[in-house]
Amino acid sequence: MGKVIVVTSGKGGVGKTTSTANLGTALSLLGNMVAIVDADIGLRNLDVVMGLESRVVYTSMDVIDGRCELERALVRDKRVDGLVLLAASQKNSKDDIQPRQMKSICSRLSENYDFVLVDSPAGIENGFRNAAAGAQEGLIVTTPDVSAIRDADRITGLLQHMEIEPLNLVLNRLSPEMVRRGTMVSQKDVLSVLSLDLIGVVPEDKGVIASTNRGIPLVHTKNSEAAQAYMRIAKRLIGHQIPIPEFREKNFFSSLLQRFSRVK
Amino acid sequence: MSSLRNILHKINKAFNRELTSSKVAKDRLKIIITQDRFDIDYDTMHGLQEELIAVLAKHFDFADNSVHVSLKNRGNSYVLVADFPHSEPPNGN
Repeated sequence: MGKVIVVTSGKGGVGKTTSTANLGTALSLLGNMVAIVDADIGLRNLDVVMGLESRVVYTSMDVIDGRCELERALVRDKRVDGLVLLAASQKNSKDDIQPRQMKSICSRLSENYDFVLVDSPAGIENGFRNAAAGAQEGLIVTTPDVSAIRDADRITGLLQHMEIEPLNLVLNRLSPEMVRRGTMVSQKDVLSVLSLDLIGVVPEDKGVIASTNRGIPLVHTKNSEAAQAYMRIAKRLIGHQIPIPEFREKNFFSSLLQRFSRVK
Repeated sequence: MSSLRNILHKINKAFNRELTSSKVAKDRLKIIITQDRFDIDYDTMHGLQEELIAVLAKHFDFADNSVHVSLKNRGNSYVLVADFPHSEPPNGN
């Protein structure tokens, strides 16, 4: 039986979908069978970030309504073997699906996949509750700003109440330069306010936009610090003990080197 | 005169690391999250802090502005944590 992990945040726009796409890809690059599930019914995005939008024929709604078998609804990734996507319906709303239906999909997927990552919609209402319904563990994504951190704490309380644990924190879009200048809270500051274990810090990386433009998850890119951070988080998820590095500002030469190797 | 004070304030602000926006963010977060978790308003929390200071000031020396009262989550329960940094080591050691 595989692990079902909900990727959530409370606040929108902090990188849930980017994190789901990259961690799913990273876990399958490490040899795991992975299913990623878009639980954002009505506002689907995961297929676009993965570059799989043209291959989506069926969605989780078709599976729930019995129009299609679960296995047939899964979209195989273009680049990595053992990675599949279950897309969300664009025509339905978050109220058209029940927690028990989501739970059933997750539990059936976990029979064949080592990891089932569920990309939760923003908010704390039905959409989030459905996304979390079938999960045993949670990844809470936050950015270093006051509103995202507050929402991360709120969502932590809700997940604890649903008895989902362990809960791990992904600190996304950290800018070491801004931390040094005192214009951004540090990794230490975030941990001093939230009662969560940190599983990884993803530095701010302009490459994320380029990778979304192309529909190629960043972990396929070499020399991207964010990609390396996602690879390390994936390794920690499969039980490797890897310390979390302190991010330093880039010096002139390393930023020059990165400029030449970046996806355009 | 007031414009001079303004300029001095700005210079002081620019050089004073205590006033960085990240420090302000951290302090605001501590209060916001404590309120959210305990479901109490700022005035109640502030009042509690003032009362604790009044009681403890009878026995200990500490700077009022260094005191911090917060609620921390330990598993399923909340713990009231009050930090009263002592201004000098006890017994002068």
